[in-house]
Amino acid sequence: MRTLVVEDEPTLQAQLAEALAAAGYVADCADNGVDAHFLGDSEAYDAVILDLGLPRMDGITVLKKWRAAGRTMPVLILTARDSWHEKVAGIDAGADDYLSKPFHMEELLARLRALIRRAGGHASAEIACGPLTLDTRAGRATLDGQTMTLTSHEFRVLAYLMHHLGEIVSRTDLVEHIYAQDFDRDSNTVEVFIARLRKKLPPDMIETVRGLGYRLVAPDGNK
Amino acid sequence: MSPWRASLRSRLVAGTLCWVIATVAIAGWALGKLFHEHVSTQFHAELRTHLDQLTANIALDANGRPLLTLPLSDPRLSRPYSGCYWQVDSFGTGEDQQGLLRSRSLWDHVLAVPQDTPADGEIHQHRIVGPDGQMLGMVERTIHIDEAVNGKTRSLRLIAAADETQMTEPIARFQGVLWLSLGVLVAGLALAVLMQVVIGLAPLRALRQGLEMIGKGEAQRIEGDYPAEVAPLVDEFNSVLAQNATIVERARTQAGNLAHALKTPLSILANCADGRDDALARTVSEQVAGARRQIDYHLAHAQAAANRLPGARTPIAPVLDGLLRAMRRLHAGRGLDLVVCPLTDACVFHGDAQDLQEMLGNLLDNACKWANGRVEIGVRVDKGLLHITVDDDGNGLPAEQRQTVLQRGVRADEQIPGSGLGLAIVADLAALYGGSIALDASPLGGLRAVLTLPAAP
Repeated sequence: MRTLVVEDEPTLQAQLAEALAAAGYVADCADNGVDAHFLGDSEAYDAVILDLGLPRMDGITVLKKWRAAGRTMPVLILTARDSWHEKVAGIDAGADDYLSKPFHMEELLARLRALIRRAGGHASAEIACGPLTLDTRAGRATLDGQTMTLTSHEFRVLAYLMHHLGEIVSRTDLVEHIYAQDFDRDSNTVEVFIARLRKKLPPDMIETVRGLGYRLVAPDGNK
Repeated sequence: MSPWRASLRSRLVAGTLCWVIATVAIAGWALGKLFHEHVSTQFHAELRTHLDQLTANIALDANGRPLLTLPLSDPRLSRPYSGCYWQVDSFGTGEDQQGLLRSRSLWDHVLAVPQDTPADGEIHQHRIVGPDGQMLGMVERTIHIDEAVNGKTRSLRLIAAADETQMTEPIARFQGVLWLSLGVLVAGLALAVLMQVVIGLAPLRALRQGLEMIGKGEAQRIEGDYPAEVAPLVDEFNSVLAQNATIVERARTQAGNLAHALKTPLSILANCADGRDDALARTVSEQVAGARRQIDYHLAHAQAAANRLPGARTPIAPVLDGLLRAMRRLHAGRGLDLVVCPLTDACVFHGDAQDLQEMLGNLLDNACKWANGRVEIGVRVDKGLLHITVDDDGNGLPAEQRQTVLQRGVRADEQIPGSGLGLAIVADLAALYGGSIALDASPLGGLRAVLTLPAAP
């Protein structure tokens, strides 16, 4: 899962990025509104954490521009401005959640998980596919009740496929959602992660759709 | 204050009318007097003419009796009881005789003249009773004529008289017309004064309406063009209003900026302390939480506009709609059913929109946090008060806790996030508007919060 952190205070930005990385997310960072708008407009993010008081372009404007351009990724506003008229303005601009500073990192992560889950159309914190279960709260995958041992990249690939159960996920999609923007991307590595995951999962759970990408399905065909 | 003192209009009208009536009365009296004198002078001048003619034409016959050598020219003197008379009395020779010669108009009546003997060349005026009992104006003079035969001198008193009505009638007629015209004049002037006052004071009435609209919150400033005398007042008042609004806005912005500036470092401190479990981390966490409560509490108060802007009007419906949109989004994962009773047009809060948003937002957020599946909002207007009811179907609060959660910084449950100030801020804001908040058991099973606020007139 790839996230964008927009925060102009460097220490807080670093703390957020660190906490997100520890929770298994890839995090890009922006410290001003113009960069944030460009990144959100050009990259595929699964969630955005957005501060409102930003240099060069304020957060509400950035958010409105994204929504006007049809960007639908979930956005969590993280701001010190927490009067209700500001919250309503934020929500009306297209935010999906609103968290006011100071906050607890666990609460931020919990809300982020809920946003990503809801964006994928999943109501509960756990996503299941046959014997495979993804606990989004704990950030872990279990197979037949046994916790799977996964590297962080393998987990990201699996989590992305789980959030898009039954859908065809292209290799480019996967690359965009598991690597940070400045990472040297190589789509061939995706094939390596898929191959490793296939070894750890029951056969045929990850289908290859020729020319299009991959699809995660339950082994007996039902999800 | 008596009514005429209370109103500028009645003061102006009363003041002007007093002078108009006094002036017109004096003018009327003077004109009447002038006319009276004029007519009276004419009347007596005519009598003198008759008397002079009589004097010129009187002579004595051979027996020493007076006779008229020529009849007097005025035909009224020959028409009986015409109102113009003359008479000649003789006296001074021991044989005083009244009415020795009389005008034909006297017929057989003799004028009863008071005893009087004007000296030579003098003319006396009297008022006597005439043949019809009417009052006559009369002039007399004495002449002495030598008798041709025996050389005796006869003293004759010559009298010319005329009915005073010849004088009083035109005067009465004139007075009637005079006072009627003066009455019309006064009425016309009164009307003019009234119109002048109404037109002249019209800007003041407009000003009063403008102020009323501001009082009711229908306008932010006094609009319209005012005459040079009132315009500075209006401009000054408008600039005070604008300044007031600017001060409120600036105070809000500054309070927000300060809070923003403080909260980001607090976030960093909290995050630093979060992952660790030692005495320092615990102290930092506690102090950050305390600081946050202080900031939230004082920020909410600094931003409250209550009592600062006169008579703002905030319809409930749009505020509630915005908050419901936010609630549905913020509590999206919970599948809550948010139900609002139909609102009437009368549901208008007499106060600032942001303050209402803050109060309702906290109440709704609270209800959504605790509800199991349903939140109901009802708004009722009753005798100038808005009663906003927020019900949830959560577990509710025990009666003894309902009062304490309204106090600053008290939280019913530390598990659900929040600063524990929501309800206390609502209570304080409501109190600023002279309203209140009460907590009760809800028919839905959870908590019922009733927010009472002033409704806009």
